[in-house]
Amino acid sequence: MDNLDYIENYFTGEPEASLKKEFEERIISDPEFADEVAFYLSAKQVSGEVSRLEKKGQFKEIYQSKKKTASTPVRKLVYYFAAAAVAAGIIFGTYTITNTASPKEMANQYIQSNLQNLGVKMGGGADSIQDGLRLYNDGNMTEALATFEKIARADTSSFNAKKYAGIAALRLKEFQKALSYFEQLEIYSGYYSNPALLLQAVTLMERDQPGDLAKAKLLLQKVVDNDLEGKEMAVEWLKKM
Amino acid sequence: MNGSGSIRYTDQEIIEHLRQSGIDKRRSEEELFNRFSYFIREGMTKHTLSEDEAFNAYSDTVLAALENIRNTHFESRASLKTYLYQIFHNKCVDLIRKKTTNKNSVHRSEIISDRLMQLSDSARSAVQKLIDQADWSRLREKLNELEEKCRQLLMFWGENYSDKEIASFLQYKTADVVKTSRLRCLDRLRKIYKAE
Repeated sequence: MDNLDYIENYFTGEPEASLKKEFEERIISDPEFADEVAFYLSAKQVSGEVSRLEKKGQFKEIYQSKKKTASTPVRKLVYYFAAAAVAAGIIFGTYTITNTASPKEMANQYIQSNLQNLGVKMGGGADSIQDGLRLYNDGNMTEALATFEKIARADTSSFNAKKYAGIAALRLKEFQKALSYFEQLEIYSGYYSNPALLLQAVTLMERDQPGDLAKAKLLLQKVVDNDLEGKEMAVEWLKKM
Repeated sequence: MNGSGSIRYTDQEIIEHLRQSGIDKRRSEEELFNRFSYFIREGMTKHTLSEDEAFNAYSDTVLAALENIRNTHFESRASLKTYLYQIFHNKCVDLIRKKTTNKNSVHRSEIISDRLMQLSDSARSAVQKLIDQADWSRLREKLNELEEKCRQLLMFWGENYSDKEIASFLQYKTADVVKTSRLRCLDRLRKIYKAE
């Protein structure tokens, strides 16, 4: 690691002439060091490429989703109604129990009511997603998370793999990981049921560290202001926070 | 709000959000992609590219614009539309040129030439040779095997985000902590990449 630090300092700083000479002579005289320099530069390039590819995958998902929307307006309505029905169910089911609870308790109740079991959808994607859901519903959270993460890495555009990976991480109380996955969902505007902000707020409320509640409030306010999924729930919670 | 249900930002708002971190930044990236995605159709009709090619050219355009806006290379002298269209047009022309000259692959040392150029000729030539011999697909595979936080650290670094920016994205306390963690991850990647 010392060499990596030394290599990085060379490429990111402005080394003095004597240090520059020493560095370059070492490349020529020490093959292992030269190999580390080549690795450093290759790793930076490859890491950037992987990141750009992931973003392109997300763009592709958005683009395809927009195309689908444009060609199937009826399906859009069906999704809207389905999302509205689910949201109404969630609100109805949780309204009474969230009436007097603290934010952490409200988040807990939400998780108990809505994330205890995840529905296995017919034709809902690759088989391995279904495998992950089965593991999740059987309570094997660690294995479920590993399964969803593997799918998310293999198919960086997979909305469901990221959503379920985030939910599994939340259940395992790996809050930072959960937040990271839920943040990644935000870019999928084409999904009619995209709970990205609501789930981030739930994670923050559940984590309940200093500053989390304020951030959760901001997220919930955005859900309300932008009329996003979970708006009614967000309104209720905001009244109690 | 626009027709797709998301907020319609002005050019200036998008630029400001893209230079920050957090939710607004992500939403602005999406907004930027969506706003001019009709360029893809233009790439297909004006430049006779396939839909996949036009999509790739447009995605690369947005990624280049995002980086230039973040690095403040974009100075707002032109509207976002004009700016993106210029990049997109150049990408389409490049793509056509590559297709017609069969020059589809770029030499690796050309990609990272900026950093290599810092080295003297003899040192550069030694490193170039090793870079060309490196197995980048194995490196990609091993990067994806790292734990998520490490992977994210390295990907932000690969996209030239500063340690200070990364600290803000991934909620590290300081840029120094990011640097230490990032170099540790890089070392871990090197070990698993080199392991037989």
